[in-house]
Amino acid sequence: MSLSRISLQEVVKRQYTYKLRAYIQVFMSLVFIQVLGILFSFNGVGMMGTSSNTFDISVHFYSADIVVIFTLLWAFISAILITTQAYRNDDFAFITNRLSSNLSNMLFLLTISLVGGLTALLSSHIMRILMFVLGQSEYLYTPTEVSEWIIGLIATVLYVLLFAAIGYFVGTLVQLHKIFAVLLPVIFFGILILGAGTMNEAIFRNVFEFIFEESSLALFMVKIGVLAALLFSGSALLSNRMEVR
Amino acid sequence: MNIIECRSLTKVYGATKVLNNLSFEIQENKITGLIGRNGAGKTTLLKIIAGYFRETSGEIKIFSERPFNNLLVSANVIYINDQMNFPAALSLKEILDVSSTFYENWNHELSDRLFDYFSFQPTQQYINLSKGMKSTFNMIVGLSARCALTMFDEPTTGMDAAVRKDFYRALLKDYIDYPRTILLSSHHLNEIEDLLEDVLLIKDGKELLHIEVEDLKEWGIGVQGPTTAVKEWIKNREVIHSKNIGLDQMYTVVKNVDSELDKQKSQASGLLITAVSSSDVCVYLTSKTKGGIDDVFIKD
Repeated sequence: MSLSRISLQEVVKRQYTYKLRAYIQVFMSLVFIQVLGILFSFNGVGMMGTSSNTFDISVHFYSADIVVIFTLLWAFISAILITTQAYRNDDFAFITNRLSSNLSNMLFLLTISLVGGLTALLSSHIMRILMFVLGQSEYLYTPTEVSEWIIGLIATVLYVLLFAAIGYFVGTLVQLHKIFAVLLPVIFFGILILGAGTMNEAIFRNVFEFIFEESSLALFMVKIGVLAALLFSGSALLSNRMEVR
Repeated sequence: MNIIECRSLTKVYGATKVLNNLSFEIQENKITGLIGRNGAGKTTLLKIIAGYFRETSGEIKIFSERPFNNLLVSANVIYINDQMNFPAALSLKEILDVSSTFYENWNHELSDRLFDYFSFQPTQQYINLSKGMKSTFNMIVGLSARCALTMFDEPTTGMDAAVRKDFYRALLKDYIDYPRTILLSSHHLNEIEDLLEDVLLIKDGKELLHIEVEDLKEWGIGVQGPTTAVKEWIKNREVIHSKNIGLDQMYTVVKNVDSELDKQKSQASGLLITAVSSSDVCVYLTSKTKGGIDDVFIKD
């Protein structure tokens, strides 16, 4: 009898291909959430106005920030979703081990970060078109340089990836023990409430600055890359001894 | 060559030992029935073999390798049970297509033929199938994958009588076409005994018997007659079951030691010797308590 031998690389490749098909809901929810984001964006992100006896000006600012924020949330939740038992068990209906399952999940999350980041940025163009067609007032916009746009794209994709990595780690912790499902939100909101006013503020300020206020793109890429790699490998290590089905 | 080698395998959940020092070996291309009562540890054993669960202690080797997190084992073992889970986004036909990309020996022709025979619709969703239909679909996946070690855990759950018969027949026919090692766990030994070569009987996580089906059929004999005569006859014998019939009659099942002298002696004392079916032997051997359900209702 000859046994069929299959390399890890080959299994990951097949799992990735199958996940693109099987996890179609993730992409559907992306469309839904970005449409919702665009709708909310019409409220504007800021406003200023001035008036005198003879004229009255009000300026509304619009941006795709809300779409980006929604996309971050979507990546976080989708990543948690694919760590849940039903999705993990699906992998074990076919050839797999825990490592290949984790690797193909990471590839999948990388893919959805690319798609999510790109569509979030492009949504600003949809907004411009809608403004142009539906808007009743004068409409101005500042054109973006191509280089700037590319920087924006890279940054957005990396943020989405970071949130996906955090979600994947959180999801893995919850799968490891249900207590994390209670513990993690408590810690998060506890820090938010307690930490804001006390001495811990400096730490959170630093964390925030470290991630969100990096001015060098190269450094930013390294930072996010390292963070995401740490989170993913942590998840893979934690789940490598997990029992399934 | 041994496909499965299992030495003092133990699996502990909390305080219970689900598998307790289980040791056995299963040879290549045999169809073995895994028989045991509810909670005997059948499913746990199969899941450890499939690499889903980790053993607590002891040693388990599938194709001479440890199954947990092992791609070679995963690629050559398929485990089918009634809690199978397939991606909800895929239709039945797509599930078969995806399976075929994974399993090297997947037989597409067979899966298509079975799919049509059991009149599945290509666009149906797995979650919308009835229990019996799910089992039938799982069986198609299990057979078509043609894995060197194929395990069916209670495969006929929810199937109607006709489909059950078809399943056993399909299993046998495909085994003849493509011999492989098959482990079949079931409550209905009488249904599958014609299919099996060996029986592995486990009780409380321990191996009780691992013998050929033919031997199991002759493993026990039933003795019936007047209580005193029966009691005299069963002295120094291994009694696995006894039951009072009426006031002064008794029926016992003992291990068959097959001596001519016994037969003559029993005929002389007016005892009736009968064969005991293999499924009855299994039930008696694995019974957890002395007596039967009747005793629960007898109030002293």
